[in-house]
Amino acid sequence: MSGHLLISRRTVLRGLGTSMALPLLDAMRPAPALAAQAAVGAAGSGTPRRMAFLFVPNGANMDKWVPNRVGYDYDLPYILEPAARIKDDLLVMSGLTHDKGRANGDGAGDHARCASVFLTGAQPRKTAGANIRSGVSVDQVAARKIGRATPFPSLELGIEGGRNAGNCDSGYSCAYSSNVSWAGPSTPVGKEINPRLVFERLFSNQKSKDGAESRFERDAYQRSILDFVREDAQRLQSRLGQSDRLKLDEYLTGVREIERRLSRDDTGRAGRDADNFPKPAGVPEEYAEHVRLMCDMMVLAFQADLTRVATCMFGNAGSNRPYRNIGVSDGHHDLSHHGNDQAKLDKIAEINRFHVSQFAYFVERLRSIPEAGGTLLDNCMIVYGSGISDGNRHNNENLPIMMAGRGGGTITPGRHVSFPYETPLCNLFVSLLDRMGAAVPWHGDSTGRLTGLEA
Amino acid sequence: MRAGSHTFRSSPWATAALAACALLMIVAGGRRAPLASAEDVQAEDAQAAKQNAQQELAGSFDTAISPFLVKYCTECHSGDLPEADLSLDKYETIEQVVEDRDRWDIIQDMIATRTMPPEEEGQARPSEEEYTFVGHWLEAKLSQVDCTGPVWPGRVTLRRLNRAEYNNTIRDLLGVDVKPADDFPSDDVGYGFDNIGDVLSMSPILFEKYMAAAGDVLDEVFSDEALRNRVLTTRPEGDRGDAEAAKTVLARFASRAFRRPVEEHELERLLAIAELARKEEASYEQQVQLAMQATLTSPYFLFRVEQDPEDPQAVRELNDYELATRLSYFLWSSMPDETLFELASQGKLQEPAVREQQVRRMLADPKSESLTRNFAAQWLQLRDVDSAAPDPQKYPEFDDALRSAMKRETELFFESIVREDPSILDFIDSDYTFVNERLARHYGIEGIEGDQFRKVSLSGRRGGVLTQGSILLLTSNPTRTSPVKRGKWIMSNILGTPPLPPPEGVEELSEDEGAELLGSLRERMEQHRANPVCASCHNRMDPLGFGFENFDAIGSWRTEDGRFEIDASGELPGGQSFDGPAELRSILRETKAEQFCRCFAEKLLTYALGRGLESYDRCSVDRIIETAGKDDFRFSSLVLAVVESEPFLKRGGTGGKP
Repeated sequence: MSGHLLISRRTVLRGLGTSMALPLLDAMRPAPALAAQAAVGAAGSGTPRRMAFLFVPNGANMDKWVPNRVGYDYDLPYILEPAARIKDDLLVMSGLTHDKGRANGDGAGDHARCASVFLTGAQPRKTAGANIRSGVSVDQVAARKIGRATPFPSLELGIEGGRNAGNCDSGYSCAYSSNVSWAGPSTPVGKEINPRLVFERLFSNQKSKDGAESRFERDAYQRSILDFVREDAQRLQSRLGQSDRLKLDEYLTGVREIERRLSRDDTGRAGRDADNFPKPAGVPEEYAEHVRLMCDMMVLAFQADLTRVATCMFGNAGSNRPYRNIGVSDGHHDLSHHGNDQAKLDKIAEINRFHVSQFAYFVERLRSIPEAGGTLLDNCMIVYGSGISDGNRHNNENLPIMMAGRGGGTITPGRHVSFPYETPLCNLFVSLLDRMGAAVPWHGDSTGRLTGLEA
Repeated sequence: MRAGSHTFRSSPWATAALAACALLMIVAGGRRAPLASAEDVQAEDAQAAKQNAQQELAGSFDTAISPFLVKYCTECHSGDLPEADLSLDKYETIEQVVEDRDRWDIIQDMIATRTMPPEEEGQARPSEEEYTFVGHWLEAKLSQVDCTGPVWPGRVTLRRLNRAEYNNTIRDLLGVDVKPADDFPSDDVGYGFDNIGDVLSMSPILFEKYMAAAGDVLDEVFSDEALRNRVLTTRPEGDRGDAEAAKTVLARFASRAFRRPVEEHELERLLAIAELARKEEASYEQQVQLAMQATLTSPYFLFRVEQDPEDPQAVRELNDYELATRLSYFLWSSMPDETLFELASQGKLQEPAVREQQVRRMLADPKSESLTRNFAAQWLQLRDVDSAAPDPQKYPEFDDALRSAMKRETELFFESIVREDPSILDFIDSDYTFVNERLARHYGIEGIEGDQFRKVSLSGRRGGVLTQGSILLLTSNPTRTSPVKRGKWIMSNILGTPPLPPPEGVEELSEDEGAELLGSLRERMEQHRANPVCASCHNRMDPLGFGFENFDAIGSWRTEDGRFEIDASGELPGGQSFDGPAELRSILRETKAEQFCRCFAEKLLTYALGRGLESYDRCSVDRIIETAGKDDFRFSSLVLAVVESEPFLKRGGTGGKP
């Protein structure tokens, strides 16, 4: 296991001075083959690739997470046992780190940091509200680059709404702990927690309104509204201060997104039905059912190629939900501060294991759908994990991370890979973006690309 | 204005931004709390020392403070790696101290409460006289805020309507109570509230929702004859064509939607949209509906727009329409009504007497219920009652009927304070509350029948919000009470001095099955506090929580916890001791009155402005408390003082405080 850490961008910066154009070195470029394959997929002539990121709160009981053996012959510790049936499609990755989730001088607030850093790799600015700032998340990078290929650039889902009372974590705004998707450094993307609304958004048969029977007419009306509000926004923007202008930028991005969807010609497009999936009634009372429905929504969206990028938070950072269905009546966050108490550690393992079983359900669903001579899962990269590892110590190295799917044949799962200590998790993200046809020179605190995803 | 230190945000309300560390982990609050420190001092010595301190205020830092710091503090707080990232050796003049006021507020508090230096072996401790002298010297210096000059009112970031505001505005604008925003993604929270401009972002999905909601709501309105007639005030008739009629209708509609008179060019563009539909042979209704959909999607509707002063360093007084909007979203979470619009058009809202009259009218209006749903529910964290999950094995009697009764009690209690207008100190302790049969049974109050809530008199066990089931529930763990959470809740929401988070690597309280062998929860917590690092914080937090140990995790009265008898006695820092919740409440009401009112005023001002408070808001908060104090801290007096404050009435430029 050597050579995972390629040449760091900072090394280059240090060596050459910042005026040089970056990147210069092959190690910082996407592998040409990957880029070419991905481009085919993105152009629509091949099978598209999809990526999803599933976030679980409060870290994990790592003693029962990390397999003892590396390679194909890896074992499934207690927490990963529910993944037995997807073992061959699973790549367990240990050793990955989110340095920007650490305090780095900002003091307490690991939970808030751990969600906002999870996909951004950026140190969130410590503020209870003014000037919130994180980074763009990996899913949104992909959405920006390849989102135009599908009706929806990305989906942002979750199980728990934003916390709506009190302070969230030690001086961090709740925006940090309830969002993993960030469209811009100060624009968290609100997530949808109601499966019915996700379904309606994905599969709405565009209500035909009186007087606007034809699609052409309806679209013309929508455009006239968008024109009107764009002019309002631009006029207003010219009169406002910096932070206000930012709000209008966000607004105008929304305007453009709808315009883009209107200008797409989706008529006659195959696979645009929900495959007889019944419309969800709303938010299920049962947590497991809720999670599964959200997973179903992602499966449907991927299957119908409505989007290729999704995120789902199984809980907000610091979630204190009890899991009575598996016999845990204490709050998850309370438990995660276990103080090495065995009883608490066992309960945490139960919660971790339960979440993994939900993940396995999602992966199996993807695998049950035939696509291009294989399965939908073959063209997916489903990353699962948390932004802290041990909930008690709140440490950000050796994070619990695994991935399912073959990325269109660019990933060799069925293994446990142990990366060198302190390998940035963002290196994985950069490598996945390559495979999506959304290559970037770096992401967050990445230092290079992750090799070893293919065997 | 930001302090130089990278760990410290120059705001008294951002103490939590300090690195967690031994010194600062204590509750500090970060602002001077005159009553809190005054009470902590033994009366006679204190008086003398205070006089000394005042006499020597003119004295220099060198003679008054420096020796104290060198003797007791700088051994740890200096050098390359100072404790708590606090280097006390770098301060050489009083000017430097005042410049770093927020940090020194905390230091002052540490000294006034005898929290620092820590009680450790080998650590020299100041004498009572030294403590008192330095505490008062610093308090006096730090409280010398110059509030005589013009107060910088700050600047509120462009605020989009949050979910509650959107629902209410649609209701008042169109007469349909359909709550479309219930399906929007939840609004993020900053400074404890979900109406903070900086945090309310506008993601693409949200824009999509707003646009769709505008269409859906108008479909609803236009498919109902009565509702449609309400908005279609004019129709084409005889010489009056579609365009002319639409112009009348849209001028009124857009002016209400934009919360200011619509401008001619805006109206023309709206009419162009209607004209487009007319060319497609849409009906008059459809033409107007389309233009209305554009209105409801416009940033002028979705955001609350306030004009910046032209000079970025300048301050401008808000115009009447901006004031009407601030008032209505503060007290109603909704748009201004006809009366406010009418007064605004006459320029009357610039008159304080008119504003007072309006505030009183608005508080009396049923729409002020939004203060309960949005302000109180967030201040008291009442929204957390919905997600509280007591263990059904331990608390089989807990069910959703009880849960909602608890929440309702606190809501009604808050509403009664809005309506009856007593002193807000009733929040800390009162001799009444509101119960229905279910809740009365839970509280052991007899003779109450039916689901209807009613006001009942209390004596002894309960009073104020601290003993209401809702608060006791949301400050408990699923399986047991948490005196720490209760103490923290009181410090954060009543005393305005939220404790800082524990330092990393602190041993947690053991809670496993075997732990009970070591003693009661209280005994185990006291062992935990034997660690001086923990004690500096928990000495303030825990007694507050212990005082309410007679209430279990769902707020039932108890005298035993398992095999242990409840000990609800304690001593607050400063030496007041109490036995049981009634005594603790009455101590809080008597001695923490001003501190509570300051906390309440800060929360109310934050909510009213939609921004976090900054150090320059200190004078405004002082003034609010002073004004309200003259009226026994009645609820209305605080609201009025907030409305009359500079930050509420004015707007600073983008250049920040000059």
